[in-house]
Amino acid sequence: MSESEYAIEVENLNIYYGNNHVIKSINLKIPQKTVFAIMGPSGCGKSTMLRSFNRLLDLNKNVRVNGSVHLFGRDIYTGDMDSVEVRREVGMVFQYPNPFPHLSIYNNIALGLKMNKLVKSDKELDERIEWALKKAGLWEEVKHRLNDYPSGLSGGQRQRLVIARVIAMKPKVIMMDEPTANIDPVGSKKIEDLIFELKKDYTIVLVTHNPAQAARVSDYVAFIYLGELVEAGETGKIFTAPESKLTEKYLTGKLV
Amino acid sequence: MSTLKKFGRFDRFDFLTYPAVLFVFLLFTWMLAVYVTSSIPAFQREGWNVYFTNVWNASECPDKEYYGILAAIWGSLYTSTIALLVALPLSISYSIFVVDYAPKRLKGILEITSDIMAGLPTIIYGIWGAFFLVPFLKEWVMMPVYNYLSFIPIFSQKPVSGFSFFSAGVLLGIMITPFVSAVVREAYTTIPHTYREAAYSLGLTRYEATKILIGYVKPAMISGTILGFGRAIGETVAVSLVVGNAFNLSADPFSPGYTISSLIATQYGNSFIYTHMTSVLYAAGLFLFLVGLFITLLGMYVLRRWKKNVSI
Amino acid sequence: MYQFDMRRIKEYSFLGVISLLSFFMIFPLFHIIFTVFVDGIGTLVSTGPVFITGTLDDGGIGPAILGTLILSFFASLIGIPIAFAVGVYAYEYPYSVIGKATTALLEITQEFPTILVGLFVTQILVLPMGTYSAIAGAFALAIILMPYVAVYTKEAMSQIPFSFREAAFSLGVTKVKTVFLIIAPIAKRGILTGLLISVAKVAGETAPLLFTAGGLYQTYPDSLTQPVGAIPLLIYTLVQSPSPADHAMAWGASLVLLLIFLAAFIPLRLSIKEVRM
Repeated sequence: MSESEYAIEVENLNIYYGNNHVIKSINLKIPQKTVFAIMGPSGCGKSTMLRSFNRLLDLNKNVRVNGSVHLFGRDIYTGDMDSVEVRREVGMVFQYPNPFPHLSIYNNIALGLKMNKLVKSDKELDERIEWALKKAGLWEEVKHRLNDYPSGLSGGQRQRLVIARVIAMKPKVIMMDEPTANIDPVGSKKIEDLIFELKKDYTIVLVTHNPAQAARVSDYVAFIYLGELVEAGETGKIFTAPESKLTEKYLTGKLV
Repeated sequence: MSTLKKFGRFDRFDFLTYPAVLFVFLLFTWMLAVYVTSSIPAFQREGWNVYFTNVWNASECPDKEYYGILAAIWGSLYTSTIALLVALPLSISYSIFVVDYAPKRLKGILEITSDIMAGLPTIIYGIWGAFFLVPFLKEWVMMPVYNYLSFIPIFSQKPVSGFSFFSAGVLLGIMITPFVSAVVREAYTTIPHTYREAAYSLGLTRYEATKILIGYVKPAMISGTILGFGRAIGETVAVSLVVGNAFNLSADPFSPGYTISSLIATQYGNSFIYTHMTSVLYAAGLFLFLVGLFITLLGMYVLRRWKKNVSI
Repeated sequence: MYQFDMRRIKEYSFLGVISLLSFFMIFPLFHIIFTVFVDGIGTLVSTGPVFITGTLDDGGIGPAILGTLILSFFASLIGIPIAFAVGVYAYEYPYSVIGKATTALLEITQEFPTILVGLFVTQILVLPMGTYSAIAGAFALAIILMPYVAVYTKEAMSQIPFSFREAAFSLGVTKVKTVFLIIAPIAKRGILTGLLISVAKVAGETAPLLFTAGGLYQTYPDSLTQPVGAIPLLIYTLVQSPSPADHAMAWGASLVLLLIFLAAFIPLRLSIKEVRM
């Protein structure tokens, strides 16, 4: 199978919520093993677009998706991949840290592995969980209480548990929907450092409404406004010499 | 490789749950079918007279048998109306009091009390009704009304036993109050805070503010009333212990009567002795079935339309 | 000045009236509990433990208590699995045509006169079997139980934040497993509480048992295909008897039923507020 050099390629993507046209003819190419930030004001359709990359919009019957999304060269909507396979390859971290409250820290990570039969033995499961927690920088903090419920963890720790849950599946792409929006500054810093670390092995798509964060962690950035792609490119270039007046206004805080 | 097996439009989830859904729909349809088919003999023999006459000729000679349940229909409507007259003022006051006035702890107690009343086994209302409420009402309400108001035609008969439309209505009123309250209270709670603030900022007193706010939930009150009526008309054992069980087409609230459900409860056990009575009782059940269904649908419709309107 | 005073008088009299009416609303419950206690405790004390364990000839209501347990147990066994599946379905498809129809049907059947359920079961089970039976009574109770359990299940699951669902799906978990292994367990507490409240409710039902369970008070039940008694049904029979001794029994049985109900219902009702996460 021919693999594309791009992790995700979006062509002429249109998304409708009922009669609302929320994403308008967007084209994007997300290179492999980079951090790609999607920024824009709240309510501009960033999160909706992100959910179209792992077919999470299938959950909502009112949503229509037109256009194509390719994952490493394979079309995720009309190709031979079903939604479960897509979601296995594209991990997702949410705005509100949501480890499952009825599962222990250990089982939160084990769940996806077991359901998708990604490990063959209990030993492998243990190893994979330890590996994921280490990668997420959480191992030292939880290694003695793997059977505790996540309710005892801080917001930042919960979010890193969610990241460990995703990493354990060894996805190719990790999508993060404003992962630090509900986390305190210290916790946010740790997660930003982690994003930097993770891009060595994964393609990361980061949605944020905070331009400073995009500037700190991303290699590429796309600016979305009212459902349209205003411009996209290397982070350094967009932040120093944006082509669009709209981008400039946004970056200088004149557009909310 | 696909882990999510698809069979046409159905997935595994549908295969697990759909049979259960189908079962409950079939069960309901089956119930309606049983009532329709079981009452056909009565309609073939008597036609609409089953519903529109007041006769009860139970006879061991089948030719002499003849039944009309008009008195029971009347009793059901009469007792349920009395029940609403009791329940409405109580429910509305209670809802206003709980939402607007009661201190937090009292509010909790009132809500739990109301829920206990809603769940309390009806037979306990029944035994209390038969042994306490009926004598109490006879002594303190029926006799005084007869003594002082007997010039009014419907109060002209001296109450005999106390087992009557009135007793059944009051007991039903007590029983349905928590249900009506639940609907009214829920609606009254949903009034957005800004409306309350707006009312007070106009310098209104709490009474004046409440008067305006209560208008906002009027459709919910109507819906609660309709659903309460439905509950009252379907209640069986408590009513049959206090209503007196007599075929009586009288407007005198203190005279004994029947309701459809109490008629079924008291007559069905013996109906197999007779040739034609069982079918008549199923026809009575069919009437209750359809009226209950209509009332519930109407109540749900009013409530949903209101919810739709206020959500905009 | 005069007008202001009128407003104040109105204000206070309004408050007075609605407090009084609110009091009238809940007063009957306290009077009922008081009356049942006063009139029932004598029977319980004078008969002693035999009242709970003995048959009607011994002056006890043992077979009725056992009957209520049997009926509730088998009603749950029949009704809960079906109702759970229906509730899950209604939760999963709140906007589809069948989903909406299911929710409406559940509301309708919750309001449905219970005597009609009894008569229906008589027609389809009792007449073909030729006898009243525990199984017929349990089936009637199961029909009444189902909409309550389904609605509680649906509502408890609907309260679980959507993001857990998204998280499960994004991990490649299938719909069946997301619903049954993630959402339902998170909502476990709400579902269980609703379930127990529903069982407590049907355990107190009388009308649907009138022509299905039949009643059995002189001996203990030993077969599901034979008649069985129940506490509410026994009370209904005893109240209609002319004998004062039977009335005393009825009060005693009512006290037992009331205590069982309150002991089950109050803790459940208190815990249901904690369901929200």
